[in-house]
Amino acid sequence: MQTEVRRLNRWSWPFIAAGTIRALIIPAAGAVVASGGVLLTRLDFLSLLFIVPALVYAFIRQRVYSYRFTESELVVRDGLLTKNVRHISYERIHNVALVRNPFHRLLGVTTARIETAAGGKPEALLRVLSLEAADELRRYTLGKEPQATAADAPLLQVPDGELVRLGLISNRGFIVVAAVMGVFSQMQWWDQDWFENQDWMRIYTSVRSKAPDWAAWLFDPGSLAGRLLLGLALIVLFIGLLRLLSVAWYLVRYRGFTLEQKGEDLRAEYGLLTQVSSLIPVHRIQLVTVSSTLLHRWFGRTSIDLETAGASTSDSGLSGPLAASGANSTRQWLAPIIETERASGLVHEVLPEVDIEAVEWKPIETRAVGRIVKRVAIPVTPVTIAVAAVLTFSPIPLSGWHALWLPSIVLTLAWLITRRWVRHAGYALTENAIYFRSGWLSRQVSVVRFVNMQTVSMRQSPFDHRRRMASVAVDTAGAGATGHRIRIPFLDVDVAGAILQRLYTETRSTEFRW
Amino acid sequence: MNDREQTPPAVEAPAPASMVDGKEHPVDPRTVKVARVIGLSVTSVIATLPLIFFTIGWAVGGIPGVVYLSLLGGWVVLAGAALSIAYTWPAARHRRLRYLVDEGGLRIRRGVFWRKVIWIPISRVQHTDFSQGPVERRFDLATLTVHTAGTAGASISLAGLEHTVAARLCDHLRPDRVTDAD
Repeated sequence: MQTEVRRLNRWSWPFIAAGTIRALIIPAAGAVVASGGVLLTRLDFLSLLFIVPALVYAFIRQRVYSYRFTESELVVRDGLLTKNVRHISYERIHNVALVRNPFHRLLGVTTARIETAAGGKPEALLRVLSLEAADELRRYTLGKEPQATAADAPLLQVPDGELVRLGLISNRGFIVVAAVMGVFSQMQWWDQDWFENQDWMRIYTSVRSKAPDWAAWLFDPGSLAGRLLLGLALIVLFIGLLRLLSVAWYLVRYRGFTLEQKGEDLRAEYGLLTQVSSLIPVHRIQLVTVSSTLLHRWFGRTSIDLETAGASTSDSGLSGPLAASGANSTRQWLAPIIETERASGLVHEVLPEVDIEAVEWKPIETRAVGRIVKRVAIPVTPVTIAVAAVLTFSPIPLSGWHALWLPSIVLTLAWLITRRWVRHAGYALTENAIYFRSGWLSRQVSVVRFVNMQTVSMRQSPFDHRRRMASVAVDTAGAGATGHRIRIPFLDVDVAGAILQRLYTETRSTEFRW
Repeated sequence: MNDREQTPPAVEAPAPASMVDGKEHPVDPRTVKVARVIGLSVTSVIATLPLIFFTIGWAVGGIPGVVYLSLLGGWVVLAGAALSIAYTWPAARHRRLRYLVDEGGLRIRRGVFWRKVIWIPISRVQHTDFSQGPVERRFDLATLTVHTAGTAGASISLAGLEHTVAARLCDHLRPDRVTDAD
């Protein structure tokens, strides 16, 4: 079986050109800055330099790019001078993501991104296809019929109210602020002179004269309370604004988040402006983490993210829209926000052999408390001595003994917190998976199925060794640099050895499936 | 402790039965010599540089005699410490390095202060290779590297194996042999 050669949609060129120009924006901004802004006055020159070549390139690219389906692989041809043929076997494809921004929707097309275990860059970026062509692509590469109708009820639907909650819980507002500040500082869009030429004193007096009598004391230059209140109000306003931006960010990005299960595949769809449709085969899930911060718990919510082997890291033409779960850029949401009671049910539904509710948690060593507190005590001791010396030899009318307040408060707090932390940490082994939970204020539970384990290891620091303790870690494919994973600290060395042996036995008797 | 426990293997033996015994083995003791040769030569080259620098400074007259003598004293202490570490460290490392092979995989135990035990199941091996550096080649030693699909443990090396042992291990850990295990 071999299909005819397929080509990109005839509306591909503006999208290819846009992608190229986006990649060129940073060098262009650099050139503008280097020229001291002179280049800004020569926009004709800039456009000639960047936009025309990008358009020419896009037209050529659209003409030479082609693909076809064979029995077992997708063959992509590319390149004008250097011919480039890429064979991507269907077996290796982890995800076929469709991304549509408002322009895509206007023209009825979509960008398709093909991810394999290679990670980093997507294996192929088909920019752009008609919707029918995208359906065909999914049908061939994932070996499925395109979902005929809305057959099953979705596993999860996140209504707007929940996204507002999520925005309040997680502080993404800073991202928006940082992005805006970045753009401003790069482009120097505001007029410096305008700011400097304003008569700020006059504005101040005019505001003051318009203020009602009861608020007059706020402007009284001598009033400390007034200034404090004003400062506080500004801080509250700033925080409020950040949260509002955070809510807006989530609404734009994740509007209408829907998770569906189609046989072996998970399908997530979301986005207000840029709509993403991501398809992940369930068996490609390497690790699942359920996490909740203190704020999450106040709202009675949790979030669930997962790692797949082929998750794209950062910039790959379509940075972010897919691989975007909080701070962990290599993870994807299973549920950006969900009621806590439903969380483990959802995980269980997706991965039937995993049931977080049902496992029997085993504790880590309570001896760990002493060790952690000691770790805090080591830096506190010299600080205490220094404070005592300062109190004794300086004119401050306090005896040096008052320095002892410091260690007594810090160490008591450390002890209380550590005790809770240790009590809450734990691990569990079931017939087919290992679970690890940790954290006190911000709690996380991670699960790795035995089939997804790669190597298993046990570590002992010199301090571990002295106390007969060890930690056990499980390595998985596609693990990002950040995020919670299976790394169980403070185990008794014999227990750790037994866990290691068990994990090894489980791993060697199962076959890893990409 | 430094005795090699394997009998010298027949090169053409296809199934390395003698190695797949589920027992811990040290790597070849000649690795200690290799590491010492490299370590001592590098250390002495680096240690000589400040000595030359001080002496020139003193001879030119930039550094007074008293300061030069105390610098010299400090140099002797530091260089002595560095050289003795370069001499003793390889032996300590070798003493703590053990590998074990069974039908299912390879286990490496290593680390002098920070200790680590890692199990690499054959069912997770993507591919294996072995390499020989110039000094290793002189001693007929080789480094085995096992690649997995993992992240932190994506490639794990075991240096100081006798060439034939490394080759046979390489063969034993080949992923397509996994059907033989269990």
